Order: sequence, then structure tokens, then C-alpha cells
Amino acid sequence: MRLSLYVPGDTWVHRLDPMTKLLMTVVGIGLTFLLPSLQGGTLLLVLLLAVLGSAGVLHRAAAVYVGVAIVAGTFLVVQGLVYPGNAVPALTLGPIVFYREGLLVGLRLALRLYNILSATLILVLVTHPSDLVEAVVRRGASPRLGYVIMAVLQVIPTMMATASTIMDAQRSRGLETEGSLWVRLKAFVPVMGPLVTGSLIATEERALALEVRGFSGEGRPTFLKEEVIPPYATAARLVTVAALAAGIAGRWLLGW
Amino acid sequence: MAAEPQGNPWALRFTTLTIVLIPVAVGINYVGKLIAAGLKLPLWLDSIGTVLAGMLAGPWVGALSGAVNNIIFGLTADPISFWYLITSIAIGLVVGYLAFTGWISSFGRVVVLGLIVAGVAAVVSTPINVILWEGQTGNVWGDALYTALVGRGWPIWLASFLDEAVVDLPDKLATVIVSYLIFKALPERLVGLFSGSRSEVESL
Repeated sequence: MRLSLYVPGDTWVHRLDPMTKLLMTVVGIGLTFLLPSLQGGTLLLVLLLAVLGSAGVLHRAAAVYVGVAIVAGTFLVVQGLVYPGNAVPALTLGPIVFYREGLLVGLRLALRLYNILSATLILVLVTHPSDLVEAVVRRGASPRLGYVIMAVLQVIPTMMATASTIMDAQRSRGLETEGSLWVRLKAFVPVMGPLVTGSLIATEERALALEVRGFSGEGRPTFLKEEVIPPYATAARLVTVAALAAGIAGRWLLGW
Repeated sequence: MAAEPQGNPWALRFTTLTIVLIPVAVGINYVGKLIAAGLKLPLWLDSIGTVLAGMLAGPWVGALSGAVNNIIFGLTADPISFWYLITSIAIGLVVGYLAFTGWISSFGRVVVLGLIVAGVAAVVSTPINVILWEGQTGNVWGDALYTALVGRGWPIWLASFLDEAVVDLPDKLATVIVSYLIFKALPERLVGLFSGSRSEVESL
């Protein structure tokens, strides 16, 4: 099982260092809130999609976009129906009236959802989690916190395998996992209980193994790999900051 | 019967053992959510690990488990979950503090704890929902209530709070009760190990 949305590749975005991509994501989210208008939001979405497209990950992004389409749809429906500023009817379906103002608010919210998603996906789809963690630890984050994040990515597939073993074992002993809600609810604890106990017992061994390898040592750890920052990373950072500056200027000087 | 957690609730328990507990807690959250979906339960049950970490090792470890949980979930499944990091941190803090001050000593108290956790989760999530989505949550049942209330002229904040609360109440109550049942079944040695009463080890 793959426990990451990361798509391997060798594009200019893939080769960028994680901190530059983190900057792009943060600026993208910042711009989402700086430019609340439909025009500004659309322009931002086009820019973000261009970055995702040049990284060759649009097909994976599309899967995420489809996943939240229902949420975007509820924004349109709910705001179209009951947004407090509603005045001009736009669409009447029998007794149900959708209002123009509310539909526009819903559209802006949907755009905001997709902009926040797209900005985050620049980091998530194109950066391997371990590279991101390493880059952050290199810049002074606690190596123990780094361990925690990396360990989660390793521990979850193991625990999922254990869970399915426990589920099979309990079923073979007669545990009912189908039927009424109460029957299914009661099946939850016999599956989770052994999983939790087993995992907690294993933590003691893991803690001992880490201790004998100097986990609680005081010195800063060194890194196995050299950090590679491509020459155009500085340019990418400058362009990103310039986009933020343009957004701020556009918002306050031109009223975007 | 497992021992109750003891000691100062705000003591920092960041030993190697509790640091190793955090990834496991996040794993329990993740697998719990999957099993709940597999059993077609109408609940998420996706914070059992955070709640257990709080019960075992106090508020700080609980809060950190919550934070790491949403970072991991944001990186691996749903990028929007980064925004609800604060809610997860609050759940870990509240459970950790109340567990160490006697609120998991009986089943009745655990039910109250579940209600408190649901209330805190809804209170913390509401501003996030209002800032991001005009108060909607994206959950169909909650948003249906929101639509009905705002349509009757209720203020957005109150409608948004109830939108979140109607979803959180059954989910967090079930999460805390299930976590408590699992916690009670844990071997006593494990409970003492994480809460820092390591007398057994020291006496060796």
C-alpha cells in the first residue's frame, strides 16, 4: 500500500528543494485569502494549475479535486439558498429558489477550496515526505519530531496489516462484522483492542532499540545525504515572493 | 483492571518511550478510521489514538499526537486537514488533562468527558469553519441543519457551531467511550510505563 500522495518524477518542480516548494505553498494559501474576488481567485487557480501541470501531476491532483467536488457543491447549494445577503433570484426549481448573491458566495468558497488544495498539492504531490522532514530538521527543527513524522509513515502500513489479521482471526472465532448498526459497532472494540495492546507493547522494544542507538543523545545529528539545491531555486523563490507582492499591491492599490 | 493515570497532569513526559508512542497513536487514529469505514459505521472514530495518548501520557503528548496526526493526514490523504490541526491539539490537551485529574475513574465520568471533548472540538472548529467556508462544514447532515437555521435567520456563528456540534457529538462521545474501553483492558504495566511511574523499572 502507498501511504503518500507523492508522485515520483524528474521535472523542474521535483528537483526544487523542499523549502522552496513550502514557500510556494504558503504564498499560494496567502494569496487565496488576499484575493477573495472571483477574478483574482481564478487567476490564482490558473497559476497553481500551471505549476502542477508542469510538474506532471495533474492526473493525481484531479483525483483529489473530484474527491472534494461534493463539498464544493454543498457550498453552492447552501449559500445559494440561505446566504443572508440574498436578494436577486437567479434560478427557481419548484418551491426552491437559488439567489444570485449566494451562488456567487458559494462559487468563491469553492474557488477558495480548490486554491488552498492546489497550493498544498504543490508540496504534497511533488515532495517526498522524507525529503521535506529532512529539510526542516536541517534548518533547526527537532530531530525527534522528524523521527516521529517518518515513523508514522512506516508504522501505519504495518498496523493496517495487523488490523486485517486481527479482523480475520476474530471473524473465524465468530465475530459478526455485518448486520445491524449495533452489531457492527460492537465489532469495533474486539478489532481495535488487540491492535492497540500489541502496538503499545511493541513501543517498549522500539524505545529500547532507539536508546541503544543514541536517540536521546544531545549532539546534532549529521545527515546521510547532501542537500541538493538547483541553481534556479533562488529565481523560483524570488518569483514566488514577487507574486505575493503583486497580490498585496493589487489588493490595496488596485482593489482586486 | 488497569491502574489510573497519576501524577501532575502538566508534567512533560517526553521520554523516548512517549515519543515512540506518538507514531503509534497516529497509526491507531488512521486504522480506527479505516475499520470504522470498513464496518460501515456512521462515525469517523479517527481520534482514538490521540485520546489514548492523552489518557496514557498526559496533555502534552496527547496534543503532539493530535498535531502530528493532522500533518500526516494532510500529507497523505486530505490536504484540508492541516487547518484542523488546532482542533486535534485541543482534543489531546483536554483528554490528557482530564484523564490525569480523575475524569476516567468511572463510566459515568467518561461519558461526561466525551461530551466535554465534543464541545471543545466544536468550539475550536467553528472559527476555522467560519473563516474558511462561511461556517459550513462540508458534512451533508451538518450542512442541512446549517441551511435550515440560517434560512430561519439564525446568526452564522451559532448555525455553524450547531452544524459542527451535531456531527462531533456522537463521534467524539463514541471515540472517548471506545478509547476508555480499550484503555481499561490494557495491562497495568503498560499504563504505568507511559504515565511515568516507572517504579517497577527503577526497583530492578
